[in-house]
Amino acid sequence: MNPQGPAVLIIDDEASIRDGCRQALEKSGYTVLEAADGAEGIRMARLSPPDVALIDLKMPGMSGMEIIEILARDLPDTVLIMITGYATIVSAVEAIQKGTYDYLPKPFSPDQLRAVTRRAFEHRSLKIEARRLRAEKERMEKSFITFVSHEMRSPLVVIRQYIEALKSMAGERLDQEMAGIVERCSSRIQGLETMIEHWLDISRIGEGTFVWKKESLDLVQIIRRSAEEMAPICGRQGIRLETELPEHLPEILADRESLLRVFANLIGNAVKYTPEQGKITLKAESDAYYVTARVCDTGAGIPPDKLPFIFEPFYRARGKQERQPGSGLGLTFCKRIMELHGGEIGVASKEAEGSAFFLKFIIQTRTASGPAAPFRPL
Amino acid sequence: MTAKKRILLIDDDQDFLFATKLILEKGGYEVFLAENGKAGVEMWKSVAPDLAIIDMMMETWGEGFSVLSKIRATDTGKDTPLFMLSAVDLQGPYQSFEPPPEFPKVNAVLQKPVKAEMLLGYIARELGQKAP
Repeated sequence: MNPQGPAVLIIDDEASIRDGCRQALEKSGYTVLEAADGAEGIRMARLSPPDVALIDLKMPGMSGMEIIEILARDLPDTVLIMITGYATIVSAVEAIQKGTYDYLPKPFSPDQLRAVTRRAFEHRSLKIEARRLRAEKERMEKSFITFVSHEMRSPLVVIRQYIEALKSMAGERLDQEMAGIVERCSSRIQGLETMIEHWLDISRIGEGTFVWKKESLDLVQIIRRSAEEMAPICGRQGIRLETELPEHLPEILADRESLLRVFANLIGNAVKYTPEQGKITLKAESDAYYVTARVCDTGAGIPPDKLPFIFEPFYRARGKQERQPGSGLGLTFCKRIMELHGGEIGVASKEAEGSAFFLKFIIQTRTASGPAAPFRPL
Repeated sequence: MTAKKRILLIDDDQDFLFATKLILEKGGYEVFLAENGKAGVEMWKSVAPDLAIIDMMMETWGEGFSVLSKIRATDTGKDTPLFMLSAVDLQGPYQSFEPPPEFPKVNAVLQKPVKAEMLLGYIARELGQKAP
């Protein structure tokens, strides 16, 4: 609300209309400003934005439609009302599409004017209130995520620290069975931490606060590094990890850190479902438009009826056959990351033969002058 | 038999202090605990430890850094090994925080929770001992 009270700006070339409006509105306690043409009206509105603006559609010089377009863009909090002497559905629809709230056909009575103006003010307060509530909701969601990230994780950190202390104190005194129990506790807690981490990342992606650094990169390097990092885990389970990779791939725009985590997730999953002596193969190829990576295993496969759901949060295709339960959010996380990259994730699977997850990225196109074209995630 | 090396641990979580103390004592160190930055700096002056481990995020973000600066500013703190502990996840709200370039030296940044053997290994290396 303007400090001088509720302000209405009238932009009309006819002095008699402006006078009439002024008298009718001032009686109801509004502060009325007048402009005789579009240029002056826009200047006045920018200088001190009115709450409501009444704009004549047909004026010499700048038309009402042009004024509406400019004011709707520049002053989103000002409610616009079109005044028109020849109200047609077509012009009314156009004005409303351009951001007008209502229209007032000439001739109109002071009561009609006041009624339309009052409604415009009500609309304005609702709009502002809705925006305030939306901002408040976003703020709460954000601080909740911050809260979770610290408050939920610190007890888990402490528990794991105690387990470390227990292990180092007990040392050889723990027999194999007890040591196994301690190890299981530790790994379940770690699983809970991973779940929280995934959940946080998924929430951040959802609200657009996920921090990622896009750079040009060769997916081959990411896959090789993932293979190095995951090799010990595969080795421990007696699974061979192989790569079938070209020397180089066309560059894609991506966040290195997130992609490493996506591969770690997919390879980790493959390990969980692949029996000893099995094999996991990392492949990659490209065509003119896409780079596609594949994580293939010789594991249990996924039943066809369960395939459509595996990227859903907490969906477990083979709960009982998992060596150790995961976070339940790993594949959802991968899917969100791929969406953020404007890419695609999918799976082909055959029971008892294995699964092949694919990741598909759009190849980065370069403009003639060299620098990368702007990247827009879908 | 030389005297035990002394380690000062500054963290606002009592359980974390206790758990880590157990590990350090098992490693053969004498351990001093401080539950906040102020107590930590005071204890640093009175105890003059051989090494200090400071949590990055205590009551306020950056508290750990301010403790570190204060300790580095003391006579005994110039060359003593100082470790920072961090439980901040990569995507956290403080991800963008970076200490200024002229920031005092940190000998190691350890991620919470820290593995017993890793912690003892880092300490042994800094104090020029053999790992236990």
